Amino acid sequence: MWKEKHPKQPVSWPNGVRLPILISVHHQSEEATCAFPDGQPDPFDVSERQYGGRRGAWRLLEVLDRHGIKGTWLICGATMEKYPAVSRAVKKAGHAIAGHTYAHEMICNLPAHVELELIKKTVSVFEDILGERLRGWRTCYASHNTLDLLLEHTDFEWDGSMWNDDLPYVIEGGGRQILEMPFATYSDAALAVSISSSASPVTPFSTYHSNTPDFIFNGWKAAFEGLYEMAANKAAMMPLVVHDFTAGRPSRVKALNDFISYVKSFEGVVFTDHEELGKWWRDSCSL
Amino acid sequence: MALELEHETNKVRWPKGVRLPVVLTFEHQSGEGAPLYPGNRPNYMIGGAMQYGARRGIWNILELLEKYGIKATFLVVGSTAENYPDQVKAASKAGHEIAGLSYSFESLRTASADRERSVIRRCAGVLEGLTGSRILGWRCPDYRLGPQTLDILAEEGFLWDSTLLNDDLPYVFDCGGQRLVEIPFTTSTADKTFIGYPYPQRGGPYGLANAWNNEFEILYAESETSPRFLILSLQTWATGRPAPLRILRQFLDRLAGHEEFWFAQSTEIAKWWLDHSMVTKSEGASHVEGKAS
Repeated sequence: MWKEKHPKQPVSWPNGVRLPILISVHHQSEEATCAFPDGQPDPFDVSERQYGGRRGAWRLLEVLDRHGIKGTWLICGATMEKYPAVSRAVKKAGHAIAGHTYAHEMICNLPAHVELELIKKTVSVFEDILGERLRGWRTCYASHNTLDLLLEHTDFEWDGSMWNDDLPYVIEGGGRQILEMPFATYSDAALAVSISSSASPVTPFSTYHSNTPDFIFNGWKAAFEGLYEMAANKAAMMPLVVHDFTAGRPSRVKALNDFISYVKSFEGVVFTDHEELGKWWRDSCSL
Repeated sequence: MALELEHETNKVRWPKGVRLPVVLTFEHQSGEGAPLYPGNRPNYMIGGAMQYGARRGIWNILELLEKYGIKATFLVVGSTAENYPDQVKAASKAGHEIAGLSYSFESLRTASADRERSVIRRCAGVLEGLTGSRILGWRCPDYRLGPQTLDILAEEGFLWDSTLLNDDLPYVFDCGGQRLVEIPFTTSTADKTFIGYPYPQRGGPYGLANAWNNEFEILYAESETSPRFLILSLQTWATGRPAPLRILRQFLDRLAGHEEFWFAQSTEIAKWWLDHSMVTKSEGASHVEGKAS
């Protein structure tokens, strides 16, 4: 059974960095589609989310490129199989790449052996299609077993499945350690859309139960202001999550574009990925 | 089985001088889409708010469009057209396109082929009777296609469907040898997303302005290098109200009168796309296959 280890947290980041912003792009397209009680996928929701793989992911890639910044792309194995050109372009652009389960399953409802099979399947998809050895992982609906499985059956260096802290921490188990890099609830999904999970009954107003682009922008701006202020005297980070089918829509990508433009002018703000921040964190606190 | 054809969308050019087509689609119902109370009792709250579209909203919208000389597409529920025929006749007479939105808000997702065909025919029959013209386009009222809907539409002589939400541009289905154009739209800028049901409303009329202006600015910038079009999904019961109608007027003020914006009807888009999009492979691609823009 895994346990947490809390070394002394770093007080500051190297190189004069005041606030690192970690953009995670969830490239999952239609994987988390809601189903009707008859088990059939909701065609409305399929179509709404397919936009992510067909268009949204490309648009997010373009925005990051235009600003010259790198992020972390968390990709479902099944999405990579359906839209391999996106993943190849992400790799070519130099973003960090991590696994995001096979088909965005409600992992918390699955037994450990099924979860392990899905992890292994995803690992092999990344190797086969991209030649990429996975080092990082995020399960949005993590189970009781997720961390133990990652520690005992993978050599992943970091996990980003937890929502419970401002800063990374270490998890030990199975004779090794993994760096937990938590995320937060100011994602585009939390701010923008009501997403019915595939575990709950489908609603007639699933993803289009939406907030305005300005609401999203203001949510990010408020989070940034709080974190930037806190970062004056201790280490802080901003894990920002966007989804291909949500923030990839034109009206909402403008909110992301405007947010990046806004924060870029603040001293000590850098955009980085989970791999690099992990290095900074390890270098800054003695493990 | 309808198969999406692959084509090189980036090579498509809109008519000379057009940078960004703008397609206004108005969904027109009178409460058929409102959930009933137990025992099939009418819901005068939500149903009544939707009836507004047929009683008043559509007239307000027609007046605004006439002022700007803009032609739009009205997707009409058959029973609404029967109950409020003058409105649909007036829209058609003013030169707007009339297309189908079911007979009475039937969900086609699990319907048999026979039932789907009868709903489609019944709706088209009512609309053709009122307008005197063929109905060429369709949108499922709940935005949910059944597995055979596209094939049936093609067999029934339809030119386009506009139920899907998964792309920035039209594309073409091969339905057993017949071509059917898909004109995808989005709920991310739809009026009912911000001023509709269920409560709470999110953003209100100014939220609509925010979404439309953002959408326009991004698509306008992208249209410099790639073909794009701007499509809005509007409800006569929502945008037909005075406050959102004023927001639409302000949005049209921004666009109208510039020749680079082509206020096109769905059939004009579909015909242009059929004639100018280059299908590169004769065999169909999987509906879900990814492709670069």
